[in-house]
Amino acid sequence: MIADEGIEDKVSPRADFISALVWMAFGLSVVIACWRMDRLEAQGATFYTVPGLVPGILGAVMFLLGMFLAIRAGRAGGHRLGATPWVMTSGGRAAAIRVGWVLVMSLVYAAGMVGHRGIPFWLATFLFVSVFILLFDWTERSAKGETAKGAAIALVYGAGTAFLVTYVFQEVFLVRLP
Amino acid sequence: MFSGLIAFGHSIWSFVTPESLFYVFSSTLVGLIIGALPGLTATMGLALMTTLTLKMEASQALLVLICTYVGAIYGGSRSAILLNIPGTPASAASCLDGYALARQGHAGRAMGIATSGSVLGTLIGMFFLALFTPLLGELALKFGAYEFFWLTVFGVVISGTLTGDDPLKGWMAGFLGLFVAGIGQESIYAYERFTFGYRDLAGGIQLVPALVGAFGFAELLSVMKERQLPVKINPFDTVIPKLADITRHWKTILRSGCIGTFIGIVPGVGEDVAAWSSYAAAKRASKEPELFGKGSIDGLMAAETGDNACVPGAVIPVLTLAIPGSAPAAVLMAAMLIHGVQPGPMIMVQSPQFVYDVVAMMMFATIGILFYGLTLTKLMIRVLQVPQTVMVPIILVLCAVGSFAIAGRLFDIWVMLGFGILGFILRQLNYPMAPLVLGIVLGDLLEKSLRRGLVLSDGNLEPFLMRPIAMVMWLSIVIIIAMRFEFVRALPGKFRALVFSKP
Repeated sequence: MIADEGIEDKVSPRADFISALVWMAFGLSVVIACWRMDRLEAQGATFYTVPGLVPGILGAVMFLLGMFLAIRAGRAGGHRLGATPWVMTSGGRAAAIRVGWVLVMSLVYAAGMVGHRGIPFWLATFLFVSVFILLFDWTERSAKGETAKGAAIALVYGAGTAFLVTYVFQEVFLVRLP
Repeated sequence: MFSGLIAFGHSIWSFVTPESLFYVFSSTLVGLIIGALPGLTATMGLALMTTLTLKMEASQALLVLICTYVGAIYGGSRSAILLNIPGTPASAASCLDGYALARQGHAGRAMGIATSGSVLGTLIGMFFLALFTPLLGELALKFGAYEFFWLTVFGVVISGTLTGDDPLKGWMAGFLGLFVAGIGQESIYAYERFTFGYRDLAGGIQLVPALVGAFGFAELLSVMKERQLPVKINPFDTVIPKLADITRHWKTILRSGCIGTFIGIVPGVGEDVAAWSSYAAAKRASKEPELFGKGSIDGLMAAETGDNACVPGAVIPVLTLAIPGSAPAAVLMAAMLIHGVQPGPMIMVQSPQFVYDVVAMMMFATIGILFYGLTLTKLMIRVLQVPQTVMVPIILVLCAVGSFAIAGRLFDIWVMLGFGILGFILRQLNYPMAPLVLGIVLGDLLEKSLRRGLVLSDGNLEPFLMRPIAMVMWLSIVIIIAMRFEFVRALPGKFRALVFSKP
């Protein structure tokens, strides 16, 4: 999530105000969806047993809490969305890039490769771990002139992880792998 | 009383086998490593170990999980003292004085204090676990639908209030968790809610993949945000605890043990609050409060005793009410259900021996942390020097495996990824995760209790409000929420000024 203080932990009133609007929209859409749910009168449902009762109450509570957050953030000036420029510090940009890469690789591995398209689990794991280590260590390794060594270490870790996880989970603990 | 001691002795004897002792020492070591490594939380470690123990016998599986839990909470002190980085959130308070002592050349002594505090804290918690579980179990038998409804709301509200530093956001996370628990087929008519036609969602969101995502994947994304700084470990000598450090600070140990245990009993609050509360109480009671944060033995002892005492404390509501006292306890509860153990008010009636088994497991875990605390230093230093770029992808692989293995569905890996991304975003916006997880755990109980209560009373709200235990709970909820308002907090002062002011 882009925060206009870069990598600092403090949450800005603007971020709180926007998230409060999201909460309110979410809560309201839950309430509407619950209102539109089948009341199941044909199956003997009463007012207290309709499927939409409890989620509807929870949606209403989330809407209210979102509203309180919006009011609080608004009092701190969060509602003035254009008051300060939406700028990211260089540290914040670097952090966002790192997180972005981790996210992309994780999604490719866990959602794209594992259990899909006939790729065995051990191969997917080997590729993921090796590429991950290689990518994130590349800058440091190339600065030291150790790219070949870095690649070799990444491949060793990748192979080791793939073998150990597969063996320990499948053979020792009899847990099925994807 | 004697029958309890006999049952406890029987439990201890049943675990004195080569297989059980192997599990004790290996899982405590795994827990220690999990706790020591920043980026691996106790909750995630327990979720992964739940996967590994799926095919084991129930008592052995729970022995492994409890030893991992105790080891993980203790293990966080290693990186807190040596690196000023808490291995788990529970060790954040230990960083203040532990690292200060290490910088003064007393890292060994600090680790000895952490070991003794953790051991004694777990023992104090264990004592209360054995004492309170039968009593609370007796009380829980008086709970009906109305009381359970308010208890679940109370759990979410108190968890949101005490975890993190913004109660409003804590409550929002908690109610989101309650909502997530309702996704899928509801319990009376099997009507599918919020599934959008996806068959996999009809079974609802499973707890373990959601936990692994919110506490595991989200944590890894947070860890990778910052570039890892070079690890520098201060030199140290012996890590054997000094008896003088224990005897001189016996009051702190007892006080922190009690605080930690009682905070553990509060639903969804957990070890980090226990550590900070014990630390704050020790500072208030200390004759040298100015030393806190600069290498105070009292401060470190309080933090470590408090957070480890919370572990048995958090198991008390799991056993008696089927409500977790902390996020790792939520995983423990899920593991119990997977292995066919039914926690809740009937446990003292249906399987009282199990309660003593759990106490015995805590005792063995304590022996494990004492053993490793005295012997394991060089290995821990090597573990702490593992680069982040190596650790993160390996843990990610384990997250995927751990999520998949429970039910054998790829969908659960998607759930893990989704909750990881949601958890990361919420964390950046300063929303605590513990209430979210507690909400997912308690959502089903809340809905069933509310619907059952309304059907029984035919829509009359009087039993919800007037039954004695229910009344105590909803009044507590109102007071907790009201205390967030400035004008309410100022009332006692104004009243004092009005009554005692001179005319």
